[in-house]
Amino acid sequence: MTESAVNVPISLVRAPKSQPLTERLRATFMPRLITGIVILLVWELVVRALAPAYVAKPSTVLMAIPRVITDPAFLKATAATLTAVAEGLAIALVFGTIIGLLIGRSAAFDRAIRHYVNGFYAMPMIIVLPLFSLWFGYSSATRIATIIFAAIFSIIVNVADGARSVPREYMEVARSFRSNRLSMLIGIVLPSSMPYLLAGFRLAAGRALIGAVVAEFFISIGGLGYYILYNSRSYHHNEAFVGVMLLAAFGIGFELLVNWSTRRFMPWYRRDEKAN
Amino acid sequence: MTDVYQAIRRYVPVWVSLLVGIALWEAAGRSTSAAFMVPFSETIRRLWQLIVADDFIGQLADSAILFLTGFFIALLIGTPLGMLFARVRVLRVGIEPYIMILYATPLVALIPFILSMMGFGFAPKVLVVFLFAVFPVLYNTVEGARSIRPELVEVARSFRTSEWALWREVMLPYTLPYTMTGVRQAIGRALVGMVAAEFFLSSTGLGQLIMGASQNFDTAGVFASILVIGLIGVGLMRLGLVIERHFARWRN
Repeated sequence: MTESAVNVPISLVRAPKSQPLTERLRATFMPRLITGIVILLVWELVVRALAPAYVAKPSTVLMAIPRVITDPAFLKATAATLTAVAEGLAIALVFGTIIGLLIGRSAAFDRAIRHYVNGFYAMPMIIVLPLFSLWFGYSSATRIATIIFAAIFSIIVNVADGARSVPREYMEVARSFRSNRLSMLIGIVLPSSMPYLLAGFRLAAGRALIGAVVAEFFISIGGLGYYILYNSRSYHHNEAFVGVMLLAAFGIGFELLVNWSTRRFMPWYRRDEKAN
Repeated sequence: MTDVYQAIRRYVPVWVSLLVGIALWEAAGRSTSAAFMVPFSETIRRLWQLIVADDFIGQLADSAILFLTGFFIALLIGTPLGMLFARVRVLRVGIEPYIMILYATPLVALIPFILSMMGFGFAPKVLVVFLFAVFPVLYNTVEGARSIRPELVEVARSFRTSEWALWREVMLPYTLPYTMTGVRQAIGRALVGMVAAEFFLSSTGLGQLIMGASQNFDTAGVFASILVIGLIGVGLMRLGLVIERHFARWRN
């Protein structure tokens, strides 16, 4: 964050980041806490004053939490959605990485399919739902297919970016030691595109979650999305909202996990968000 | 002469790739059952039918109005709010984690709530598009605000700059490139929001067209609608990139 301080006159350089704990508490923690409380209060009061009783508000959502997380139906729904997301992401990761490496390292391959990848990537993913439900029926296959479709293109695009940006010297050294193309791909290109892969994976995880929820809405098969849909249709908004909170937690969890592992395993790598 | 050569090198592979793709599509469509996949030629014929006979253009306009309304409300609220957070440090620090949370939350999950609270009108659909689009704009604007060196504001202030001039001369030029990254992301998300709203709230526009086709097992209609929405997606994404690049020149 203080990168720019390098070319600033000494007198203007800010104080170093290591402030005492109490100072940090005052400067960041308190505003966050207060903002959080204000948001919850406003929400609570507005709903109480203006909305019908079934509408979710913090106090009733809080009371619904123990009831919901011990409900076997909820746990089953969560497991179904998470399993599908994990399977879909795994498939998207494997094939996305392979295709991305090929696009990044082979000009012919790149020319042949670049426009299709970009086209599918730009497409709002949920329009394939009616088609997938025609193809795969109203089954969990449609959900998996939607998740893969939602996730794979951000992995391909990012891995291809990464594979393209491998320093040329690495390849030249490898070539002068007569390494073959495959071992160059696995030994050099793949590790060197790892940060891009992680960035792509972070996007893919978010999109996969959306894909799962949307598919469950659309074809009404058991899962967290359907749990939310069903409960909010029957005016159990508090219960449904606990589901939304869990989804949010997964979304944020993926985000934090990827950020953490980028810092942990690739500390040299500091790139601005490649978010899309 | 070299220009022609350059142009050939650039565009021939694209056209070859597109033609091969269309040929493969055609072949796949002809060799499978019509309920599963229809060839390219059939898709185009159906699309033409939809345009001539059905109210395709009207549906397209419906969708466009929904998209533009939600998107511009998101822009009009997200940008100034983001800059306000940028200017008032306490606000920014306080609200940042919550914006992050909402940015990472799959907001589609809120659609059932919106449906049961607001019903089937135009407003709930605009709300969905707005929700999808506003957080990228807000998030990136705040991100841009963090990149403003405090020294700039300090220098401006020591020259007794008015608040208005500070916004115009420092805040706006420094945050706008980031906002435009948000705009590019927001275009994609708003498009998803538009289709989601048309699928799950009241059926209108392109969403209705594609849903109707799928319910009637009109596979050609489904393909035609997907083709059109896909092309719109690509076009809008290009537009977003152009806008982003234009403003990226301000970054230094």
